[in-house]
Amino acid sequence: MRIVILSASIYSETACAMAVRMAESGFVPVGALALSITDRGTLLRKLGQWGGRGVLRYARTKLIPHCRDAQPGVNNPYLEPLLKHRNGVFRSLRQVAACYAFAVETCRDQNSPDAIARLKEWSPDLVIFAGGNILRKPLLQVPRLGVLNVHLGLLPEVRGMSSPEWSLLKHIPVGITIHYMDEGIDTGPILQTSEFPKVAECGSLSDLRHRLIAYGVAKVADVVAGVDQGMVSATPQSNFAQDGQFFVMHEWLQARASEYLTKRRLPAVAETVNG
Amino acid sequence: MIAKAMTEGIGLLRAPQRIVPLIGKLVSDRMRISFEQRHLYSYATIKRDSGEALNSSLRWVLDAQRPDGGIAAYYSLLTGYSAAYPEVTGYIVPTLYDFSRAKDDQGAAAAAERATGWLLSLQMPTGAFPGGLHDGFPRGDTQPSVFNTGQILQGLVRAHAETNRPEILRAAIAAGNWLTDAQHADGSWSGPGAYQGVPHTYYSMVAWALAALSERCGDRRYALAAEKNLDWVVAHFRPGGWVDGINLKGHPNYLHFIAYVLQGVLECGILRRRNDSIHSVTKSAWVLLRKFETNKCLRGSYEAEFNSGQSFTCLTGNAQMSCVWLRLFEVNGDLRYLNAALKMNEMLKQLIPARGRRGIAGGVSGSYPIWGRYQPLRYISWGNKFFSDALLLEQRLKPSTEVSALEALPCAS
Repeated sequence: MRIVILSASIYSETACAMAVRMAESGFVPVGALALSITDRGTLLRKLGQWGGRGVLRYARTKLIPHCRDAQPGVNNPYLEPLLKHRNGVFRSLRQVAACYAFAVETCRDQNSPDAIARLKEWSPDLVIFAGGNILRKPLLQVPRLGVLNVHLGLLPEVRGMSSPEWSLLKHIPVGITIHYMDEGIDTGPILQTSEFPKVAECGSLSDLRHRLIAYGVAKVADVVAGVDQGMVSATPQSNFAQDGQFFVMHEWLQARASEYLTKRRLPAVAETVNG
Repeated sequence: MIAKAMTEGIGLLRAPQRIVPLIGKLVSDRMRISFEQRHLYSYATIKRDSGEALNSSLRWVLDAQRPDGGIAAYYSLLTGYSAAYPEVTGYIVPTLYDFSRAKDDQGAAAAAERATGWLLSLQMPTGAFPGGLHDGFPRGDTQPSVFNTGQILQGLVRAHAETNRPEILRAAIAAGNWLTDAQHADGSWSGPGAYQGVPHTYYSMVAWALAALSERCGDRRYALAAEKNLDWVVAHFRPGGWVDGINLKGHPNYLHFIAYVLQGVLECGILRRRNDSIHSVTKSAWVLLRKFETNKCLRGSYEAEFNSGQSFTCLTGNAQMSCVWLRLFEVNGDLRYLNAALKMNEMLKQLIPARGRRGIAGGVSGSYPIWGRYQPLRYISWGNKFFSDALLLEQRLKPSTEVSALEALPCAS
């Protein structure tokens, strides 16, 4: 199976871990397409998310790994087992690519004609989305099977942003969904939904997010193997009676979700795999 | 139009000290518009304390109150404070009482009483209240106004609930009688008492006032009149959420008026336990919520079906939508409405001057940027009314998001 990984930047830990996990599972990617870190939109978005200090700290950690006060480990500790290698820690997709021999390209917009042309050259069966732009139809049509996304919530109940936090506040089990992407927001056919079994162990919302990302990275390789063997098929989402789209959560509600996380124990775990 | 522009220009010449704040505001809005990356904001972070913003907004209202109790319609960057506006003075009364209760501020309650006293002095023998601004001089050509009478009725009903003074209830009943007498069989109001002589769906605000009067005095006639109007307005909701019949000739469908329709139908629907009304409003409010969450702003005006509109921001309409979302959260427990309202309030707090001279600090401008089409170059008292309402609602509803209260909310699934 020819796999390509899309990433928000070559320094994305999630994308690096995803590439390692796929390679370790026998699906070495044929390429990775990442957004350029010098892109104005990306920089402004990160400035908005992290603030100036956060961006500087991130840049120092990524670009000057041996800087004295730089963070020695990885941002998401649950990805560390995948990112660690003999000589240290994978810090960029280029390092992962050098290890497993695949190509890495950067672009300003994953929907641009240049990016799509590059993608077509790789003629992928499957694209795994590990971050980047909202994908448009021309890109979605390139891979033979589709573009796969790991959503940090159970679909179709929780679509959109801040899914783990909304799941907590709306009393919906916390979990992940692996699905094909379509032109809607998290509306594509579902391959697998998995409730996350360790919510009660999470000490904070960021801890929960980190664990969910690692959980998703672990699960996605199994799903790809299932798709490859014809054991897993996708089911269209049908429950649109109630609009399950959620949006970025306000700080006040996030604090309530955090309280809820620390004070509550969540219901028993169930897993559904479409076969 | 030209005469109005000349009057405003002369106003500036008479008070050249206003030139500096005018230029300052024009420059700051120009710079903000040029450099902001609004599509990247989510307004999910608290940058200004809501309590402090509420105090500042109410202080603006109290500063705008004249010694006789009337509240100015606006503070213009060109001409300063306007004459008192009976309509706004009326429906700002509930806000003053709410603030007084929330903050244990007797000054706000006293201001509400002065406002009520002034309103009683303006009531016409028919029970109606006049339209337009009131400059203190007797005017022979004063016309009764359905909408303004309804808005003032809102204040009278609340003032009676707070003070139990019989003359206030008598005035409210007289206003209610005039409104029910003027109502058409189909539930609408048109003719000389209606703006431009035609019926408007945003007169649902009048229906809300009548429903409140019915609750207060126990007379079902007012409730029936309110429901009759509600039926007429709800029939103008399209399946996609758009509302026809705003009917303002020569004006676009400003968000302020769209939000009026929604507020009136929602509040009247809540009082009359009309699920059809609440359902209709929920649909429209959700369409606007999605637009706000996706685009990080609402347009100043909209064409039919919310398809397009003018790109300035109508701050008053935004504050009203925050109120609608907060009330919907109260009704249906869907936290997404609370979330959108909290973010809307964050956006508004950032656009309202924390400092400046009297008339500017804490003032809600008609438009952002200040030269936008809705009430350009003015800080308007009804903007402060709705912004204060939104912050008061936020403060009242936040405790319901504590963990213990959340457990009682319905699940989405």
